[in-house]
Amino acid sequence: MSARPLALPALVAAAAILAGCTSTAASPTDPSAPASAAAPAAPTPGGSIVYGHQQEPACVFGGWIEQSYLSYNVLDSLVALDENHEVVPWLATEWSVSDDQLEWTFTLKEGVRFTDGSELTAEVVAFNFDYWMDGGNGTAAAWLGGYYESAEAVDERTVRISLSRPYPRLADNLTQGYFGIQSKEALESRSDEENCEKPIGSGAFKVQEWNRGENIVLVRNEDYTSWPANAKHEGPAYLEKIDWKFIGDPTTRVATLRSGETDAIYDVPAIDWAPLGSEGYELHRYVTPGRPQQLAFDTVDGPFTDERVRKAFAFASDRKQIVETIGHGVIPYEGNGGVSQATPGYSQKAADWYSYDPEQANQLLDEAGWTGRDAEGYRTKDGERLTVVLPYGAGSIINADGAAILQGIQEQVKAVGFHVELIPVPPSATFAGAYSTPEERDIYPGYWTSVTAGILYINWRQHLPESPNYANSAFLADPELEQIILDANSTVDLEEQNELYRKAQEYIAEHALSIGVYARLSTLAVREGLVDVWQENAQGGPVFHDAYLAG
Amino acid sequence: MLVLWGAATAAFAAQLALPGDLATVILNVRTGQAQQRTPEELAAINEQYGLLDPVVVQYLSYIGGLLRGDLGSSYLQFRPVWDVIGDQIGATFALTFTALALAWVLMVVWVTLTAGRSRPVRALGTLVETATAGLPPYWLGIVLLLVFALGLGWFPVIGGTGINGLLLPALTLAIPLAGFMGQATRQAFETSLTQPFVISARMRGMSDLGVRLRHVLRHAVLPAVTLSGWALGATVSGAVIVETIFTRPGVGKVLVTAVNSQDLPVVTGIVVVIAAAYVLANLLVDVVYTLVDPRLRTS
Repeated sequence: MSARPLALPALVAAAAILAGCTSTAASPTDPSAPASAAAPAAPTPGGSIVYGHQQEPACVFGGWIEQSYLSYNVLDSLVALDENHEVVPWLATEWSVSDDQLEWTFTLKEGVRFTDGSELTAEVVAFNFDYWMDGGNGTAAAWLGGYYESAEAVDERTVRISLSRPYPRLADNLTQGYFGIQSKEALESRSDEENCEKPIGSGAFKVQEWNRGENIVLVRNEDYTSWPANAKHEGPAYLEKIDWKFIGDPTTRVATLRSGETDAIYDVPAIDWAPLGSEGYELHRYVTPGRPQQLAFDTVDGPFTDERVRKAFAFASDRKQIVETIGHGVIPYEGNGGVSQATPGYSQKAADWYSYDPEQANQLLDEAGWTGRDAEGYRTKDGERLTVVLPYGAGSIINADGAAILQGIQEQVKAVGFHVELIPVPPSATFAGAYSTPEERDIYPGYWTSVTAGILYINWRQHLPESPNYANSAFLADPELEQIILDANSTVDLEEQNELYRKAQEYIAEHALSIGVYARLSTLAVREGLVDVWQENAQGGPVFHDAYLAG
Repeated sequence: MLVLWGAATAAFAAQLALPGDLATVILNVRTGQAQQRTPEELAAINEQYGLLDPVVVQYLSYIGGLLRGDLGSSYLQFRPVWDVIGDQIGATFALTFTALALAWVLMVVWVTLTAGRSRPVRALGTLVETATAGLPPYWLGIVLLLVFALGLGWFPVIGGTGINGLLLPALTLAIPLAGFMGQATRQAFETSLTQPFVISARMRGMSDLGVRLRHVLRHAVLPAVTLSGWALGATVSGAVIVETIFTRPGVGKVLVTAVNSQDLPVVTGIVVVIAAAYVLANLLVDVVYTLVDPRLRTS
């Protein structure tokens, strides 16, 4: 049940991290940005805009955050997340949970039609759930797996989701783009290629054409009736057309905005953030909740099996300083290894657990028996050097700034005698599973976006021989931690649940299972005159349904 | 034909040598994660693409497909590889041929003007060629983009597929290439300038420029013609960078994406198509040779 993008999104993430901004608030729009709402006249429908995005996915809909950004504008979901992190109606007008927490009932909006003319019914929704679980969306399946049992239509407008275990935050998770509802007729009768390129939803826009390598053209759904409750207006989108261009190079992307060839761009490089702001562009920033960019220690093989050595590494690295230096104050430092500061149920205590303290690090290493020093100043034990292997997905999970931060940490911990072997792994090898076993590595960086702290379950469910959990990058088999998280997942009272999630984060910090480094960002820059583009609250993607051209 | 078969086989062999399990890669890329997978998760993908079949079976079905003109389907886009390549190949050809043509123009003008002149002019000619031949395309592309597209506004920043958007990307590839070909041409050019037929042409009262263009150039360009066949291939690899900077569609970018995500049908398809382009280019070079040097026609 919890979360998502690790690798590919990491490309984005990495880039997103470049992008960034000055404060770390979780609010999706930067309050310091010029208030676009000041536009005096009522919006006039019409016009088209060009939007410059960074990465081109293989399909519109899928399990990668880049796909979610696109599909959010084409497909509607059952529910949406508002700016206060409350779940609000979208295709579902209301929903309820049975007393035993095992049956969720969603009531659907009336009169909603997909853009192929077919009708939104309970049966269609149930079909979508099974479609995701059967390979239609690997990330949706990762969220629902272990909890989802079945979906069935009670009547035309009522769909019932049965769970095997209570999961009170189910609706929160359904706000992510991975859970966009498609036309059953289209899924069944069209080819994989068609459904990949032009999925049929009931959304504000539909895909007109995809010029691979160049752009996707989205056109307004003239008959749109199913906007979410947190939309800024009712009715079809104002804009007739969105030219969603793929502009991979960050310098080029910013140049297109300045030259007027794009009206808005995604992922603003950190170095351009302040200048664009002072030139009058509206800046939006969203700190992604979920697992932050963190370092997970290998708990089953190598020096980090000793908790003291893990703690020593945490004390020896001045992560805050290096993130602030490399990130120009734009990339938010994140000390919590469990979840990022934008996640509900975040524990500040866990984030503050380790401050920079080389003396304590030295003491811990002495206690752990790493008392010798070799000619190069690295610590040794029984003649063996304290070498730890840190492979990272270069250009996929870790961008250039991220790599610089890791190099900084490598230098910092050298002072107490750690020899960090930093290994950049190319994307093809990363996805092929290079360095994915405990014997091959000692530290592994990575992030995973999610809307709830339920991500902890995906990342920390026990890794056991009979039921491996490869998303547990520390290879930890700790029943105590898993139990805390399971209890949290199934606790109905929000405050109590958050208390348990916080406990889990503090457990992770206390035993130095993972340490946080920085939080992932999603950013936008929008030109003056294009009003009411906003970032949706589940994942930070751009929403164009309310956007209009002023004057 | 042999070359194509060789390229196809090499591409197939290379994919076998890649690290990791292919089904794992496909699933990881589809979900944007990098982790190990359980056999149950992989079963459907192994089944669909026959990844557990013996290598010989996979190879034969792959070559069989090629013979029928079937390059297979992309693992990620769910489209025939022909369509994936077909979408992009036009833009790539437009870019590489324009770049090559521009390189020739730049090179011929520069060499004709500066070769065999006074020592400072010759030195300048050589210096510029050496410097441009070594320019990194990424740097050059960004400079051209910032100066001519953003600063002066003469060209669009987003190249796209229009004619107007073609010049800067093509120049980015053409400038280093012109420098490179210029180095080869200059030496032949200066040797030719001292040949008896040049002196006799001058004695007939031909102007200096006339001599250079009519007589000397023809002798001097043969090395550059040979290089052009190679350059067509080289520009495809340089195209990746240019396509990214100028936001152009093209095979280069598709190839890099496909390699990174191990979308092997697309990779092998592009390799075969590029091999075919190479074969054609070398045939063309041979034809051009006989046009430039009539002696080859009789020998």
